[in-house]
Amino acid sequence: MDLLQVNDLKTYFFTEAGVVKAVDGITFNVEKGCTVGLVGESGSGKSVTAQSVLRIVPRPGKIIGGKIFFNGEDILSKKEDEMRSYRGKKISLIFQDPTSSLNPVFTIGSQLTEIVSQHKGVKKSDAAEEVIKALSLVRLPDPEEALNRYPHQFSGGMKQRICIARALLLNPELLFADEPTTNLDVTIQAQIINLLMELQKNIGLTLVMITHDMGIVTQMCKCVVVLYAGNVMEIGSIEQIFQMPHPYTEALLKAVPRLDQTRKLVSIPGNIPNLINPPSGCRFHPRCQYAIDRCKDEIPPLIDVGDGHMISCHRWRELNGG
Amino acid sequence: MGLAKYVIRRLLYMIPLILGISIVVFLVMYAAGDPIQIATAGNPSITEAQRQFLREYYGLNDPIPVQYVRWLDHFLHFDFGKSLYGGKPVNEIISIYFWETLKLQLVSILLAFAISIPIGVYSAVKQRSWFDYIFSGISIAGVSFPVFFLGIIFILVFSYQLGWLPSAGAHGAPQLWPVFGIQNPFLDELAHLAMPATVLTLAGLAYNTRLLRAGMLEVLRQDYIMAARASGIPERKILLKYALKNAIMPLITLLGMSIGFAIAGAPATETVFSWPGLGRAYVTAASRLDFPLIMGITMIITIMILVANLITDISYAAIDPRISID
Ligand SMILES: Nc1ncnc2c1ncn2[C@@H]1O[C@H](COP(=O)(O)OP(=O)(O)OP(=O)(O)O)[C@@H](O)[C@H]1O
Ligand code: SF4
Ligand SMILES: [Mg+2]
Repeated sequence: MDLLQVNDLKTYFFTEAGVVKAVDGITFNVEKGCTVGLVGESGSGKSVTAQSVLRIVPRPGKIIGGKIFFNGEDILSKKEDEMRSYRGKKISLIFQDPTSSLNPVFTIGSQLTEIVSQHKGVKKSDAAEEVIKALSLVRLPDPEEALNRYPHQFSGGMKQRICIARALLLNPELLFADEPTTNLDVTIQAQIINLLMELQKNIGLTLVMITHDMGIVTQMCKCVVVLYAGNVMEIGSIEQIFQMPHPYTEALLKAVPRLDQTRKLVSIPGNIPNLINPPSGCRFHPRCQYAIDRCKDEIPPLIDVGDGHMISCHRWRELNGG
Repeated sequence: MGLAKYVIRRLLYMIPLILGISIVVFLVMYAAGDPIQIATAGNPSITEAQRQFLREYYGLNDPIPVQYVRWLDHFLHFDFGKSLYGGKPVNEIISIYFWETLKLQLVSILLAFAISIPIGVYSAVKQRSWFDYIFSGISIAGVSFPVFFLGIIFILVFSYQLGWLPSAGAHGAPQLWPVFGIQNPFLDELAHLAMPATVLTLAGLAYNTRLLRAGMLEVLRQDYIMAARASGIPERKILLKYALKNAIMPLITLLGMSIGFAIAGAPATETVFSWPGLGRAYVTAASRLDFPLIMGITMIITIMILVANLITDISYAAIDPRISID
């Protein structure tokens, strides 16, 4: 059963420079209890996709088309109040930078208990109980004491644990983790990844793992959605995308992390396209080593090439011996 | 423990500063000219002997270091001496003007602070709406517009044309100003306060609003705001609690500083409304080289600014847990 279905989602930013087509017709499903990887270079629309599902796209962004079903319910047609009761309770989000995603001038306790009381309308002391439980779940040392402390009194890894606890406070069914380890030290990264995998298994969470890191994808995910410039390039199982990848996925897999830069910068020759005037046809064609004239003129549809492996490419069949 | 120690240390640092400022002002004052000459310039019948007597009487013939030490000794006994004009004790003059200035300034500063919060927040939330454009326009005009000019317009309209409000002073003389026909000392004070306070509030409001709007726009872009939204916190609470507490920091600094500088008064506004305040008194004292009064007001202003800075730093640390006082 699919917990989340995203159909032809379009989210644009209406900026002064023009309309940024950040998410331009994205389709994918997330099976209940699964971990799905959402990968793509910087600016491909990963975060905006997650924000769209929660309907918290910041101005001047707007969801202008498509459908999103959560548990079969059309969430784009819900009233704002009802949608708000979904946020944090049914669908949660954790961010890349734990430091900037905790409010610096409120204690951990006040930030987290507020969420519990907001959704459950319980007393402060009962809410604090639940917060302590969640903080223990993510193995934060001294959870009671942590309630009275401020974000800056914790290390990056601890802050990310707190953010995970915040996202899991109300036992959501679906969790988006938006590059939750990019801003952490390598050893801490591994700890957070392990924690997420463990939580996912133990509490039957459905997890959408947003990342640049193909290593994390192979470690955590069963299924992967590859985005490029606001379009889906490929959807498939780990085996499928490794054995017969889309040309863009192939380039992603081959790309070497540049060690002189932060780890997240993966370099594929050429530049990320401008999303105000995206390339015609296949959006990857200016950088694709297999591009032919047809790629410039015709948008390749996303089609099932067998066993649920979805590909958007004119030449994939030919390149993979069919 | 930390706070008391911090306050004591900051107060100790103030001593050399206050001494330094007093010495500089003292020297500049003496370099500026002879006050007795200025005071008696309009009186042709006065003789040089009489002038000499006056200089002797006020101790102006002693060497400057001697005069300074004498001044300092009095200052340490909370005595600023007597004004060269009318011989009134400076302490008495300051204590009258001080409260009038403080009253006018505090009312204006707090009003500007309070009113700027809803306007600043709403302008940021409704960025690029007609509300935002109108208030941004008013703010820019308010910041660049000389306020005393507005004061003159107010007096022309509300005092001379309409006759609603008194044009000068802080209190009813010779009689209480009737407000809706009622003569009451409190209403009289309000009637006198209305125009100068409005002018100063508008001036402060413009700046505060811009500062808060910019702060809110910055804060609303932060991940922790999106995180609060993603947790299902209602938008009103996000704006008025989570965002505002972060965005209001610069305004708190400004508030502290303006209360400090408030005592310097607003000479232009005080002059336009003939407000019996320190700002106007300071300008008058300076133009007449009324040494004791200049020194007295300088010291009061200096101390107020230093204390206000201290209070600002403490309140900053109280709001922002990342800032610790030590
Ligand atoms: N608030 C905004 N205003 C204008 N454009 C935006 C805004 N947020 C995102 N965009 C645009 O939307 C596009 C997709 O952004 P998104 O943040 O989803 O990328 P991403 O795949 O998450 O990248 P990264 O790996 O860098 O996080 C980008 O081109 C970006 O410029
Ligand atoms: S459609 Fe053409 S340009 Fe696009 S990925 Fe396939 S081969 Fe490359
Ligand atoms: Mg992102």
